[in-house]
Amino acid sequence: MSQLTAPQTLTPQPPSGRRAAPRRGRRRGGSRVLVALGCAAVLAFSLFPVLVMLTTAVDARANDGSTSLLPTDLTWDNFRFVLDEGGFTTYLVNSLFVALSTVVVSSLLALLAAVAVARFVFRFRTALLVMVLVIQMVPMEALVIPLFIQAKNLGMLNHLLGLVIVYVAFSLPFAIWMMRGFAAAIPKEVEEAAYVDGASWPRMFWSVLLPLCAPGLVATSVFSFITAWNEFVFAITFMNDQDSYTVAAGLRQFFTQYGTDWGAVMAGSTLITLPVMIFFILVQRRLSSGLVAGAVKG
Amino acid sequence: MTSTIASVPPADEERRTGARRPAGPGPRRGTGLTPRWLPWLLLAPALAVLGGLLLYPLYRVLVLSLQDFGLRQLVTGESQWVGLDNFAELLTDPLLWKVALPNTVVFAVVNVVLTVGLGTLVALLLARVGVWTRGVLTSAIMVAWAMPAVTGTYVWVLLFDPRSGMVMRGLSTLGLVDPDTTNWFTERLPFYAIATLNVVHHGFPFVAVTVLAALMTLPQELMEAAELDGAGAWRRFWSVTVPLLKPVFAVVTILSTIWDFKVFTQIYLMPGGSGTNRDVLNLGTWSYITAISQNRYGLGAAIAVLLTALLLVITAVYLRTLFRQEEL
Repeated sequence: MSQLTAPQTLTPQPPSGRRAAPRRGRRRGGSRVLVALGCAAVLAFSLFPVLVMLTTAVDARANDGSTSLLPTDLTWDNFRFVLDEGGFTTYLVNSLFVALSTVVVSSLLALLAAVAVARFVFRFRTALLVMVLVIQMVPMEALVIPLFIQAKNLGMLNHLLGLVIVYVAFSLPFAIWMMRGFAAAIPKEVEEAAYVDGASWPRMFWSVLLPLCAPGLVATSVFSFITAWNEFVFAITFMNDQDSYTVAAGLRQFFTQYGTDWGAVMAGSTLITLPVMIFFILVQRRLSSGLVAGAVKG
Repeated sequence: MTSTIASVPPADEERRTGARRPAGPGPRRGTGLTPRWLPWLLLAPALAVLGGLLLYPLYRVLVLSLQDFGLRQLVTGESQWVGLDNFAELLTDPLLWKVALPNTVVFAVVNVVLTVGLGTLVALLLARVGVWTRGVLTSAIMVAWAMPAVTGTYVWVLLFDPRSGMVMRGLSTLGLVDPDTTNWFTERLPFYAIATLNVVHHGFPFVAVTVLAALMTLPQELMEAAELDGAGAWRRFWSVTVPLLKPVFAVVTILSTIWDFKVFTQIYLMPGGSGTNRDVLNLGTWSYITAISQNRYGLGAAIAVLLTALLLVITAVYLRTLFRQEEL
């Protein structure tokens, strides 16, 4: 069975690396210069803010205002400060707990729902898909008001679990949409072969659909992780207690009425951003194909 | 193998004639092997979450917008119906017409044009370069994409900070601005120009990656045929690429529109954006500040309802596009 259904052949393939350099050279010299300039511009625009963040984080003179793109006076003091005194160790643990819980719950629910809409025909299926699409468009700011009142009434403010529940809800519509692309790409024949072999539906789901949906699960997990890790509105609204801050909310304390500790802000920002970026680059092929499956396939 | 991406340009003849697409995965109707309630069982947990945490609050915000609901009501739990009073107050407030609505709409339009334009240019560039260069560039734009809104906003604020900002310092070294008298965050136009840099930087990678993926599925033969017919690069782009990629452009444009309409964090975190400078409010920040900071939940809800209604109109356009593609 496994050789028949190698997962990678079923995933929507990402663009990079598929095709050998298409018609390079043979062009006029002018357009080659233009392409090179374009590449340089894309690199600069994409990476410039990241470079500024890293430089400010490790520069002892960050708060004096520096115009250098590279640190002039290298130091780790900013990191030491935000981790020890800035409470970032707690915020990182909180964020990790919230994001990982969101990933587990959201991916599981999205997988089940996506299999249902991608592999069955039933009444109200289209209506359901339309509903998923529509609620994806609802702005968080509209829901933060009633959810805040609800959470307050239920005594859920300052509880990390309250954030998890909200983040699952917010990542779910797009996660379903994304998973649906992967689940729909699995050929019917593979599923039927399992039935011919005498498998029940749960058995077929476990040994056929689940492994084939694995790349989709990776993409959805990254998506829900980032949604939860980066979320700001609910993090500042639900959490008033410093001990329950997430990283996105924790940065605000370095802005005081006496001024901004930019070295600390950027050290904290680096701690928030780098793990996500490394993660992102590692799974970029899966992620871009997932987004394409979700957004383009519709 | 029909991959998901490969099916982007809809195979119209096949659909019209009802012919089955090769290796078409397609959903199945009950064959007796699976009970009819199985899909609903699989959907139940997701539906419970979506209903309880998205649909019910959406109904609640509508109800709140028709109520007088302030701090006292939050404590006692009782509330009073005021009909459309909140909306009357909202629609007669000059802040809506002169500040919040223009800030929201103009910003969204400008940012969508810039994001989709830049994203498409980058996609075309990526399609032309070699595999190795493409890998490096894709990683770079992924970095821009992965930068969280919160930290990204702080970096742009730092860059333009009157005291410590690199841009401001550079310009003052050149004698172009006086950092003691210049603050770009206090006025709408420069404020939103900085926000635009931030949002475009964060948004163009999605467009670039999606358009590139679609570009790679275009049949190379069409391009070569057009080239043989003497069409230049410009002509080939507008006459071959754009019509074929129309569905993809529609989707990225509408998704960007929705995202740029409800942009919140990037505005709220800039100096003055959290309510101290009312000139820079947009619908999202106005609604949040009115409700959560000023405890006027009813009025805040009314603003939120207005924003949601605007977004639903755009969503309707999105759905029409999808239905025309027969992709659902």
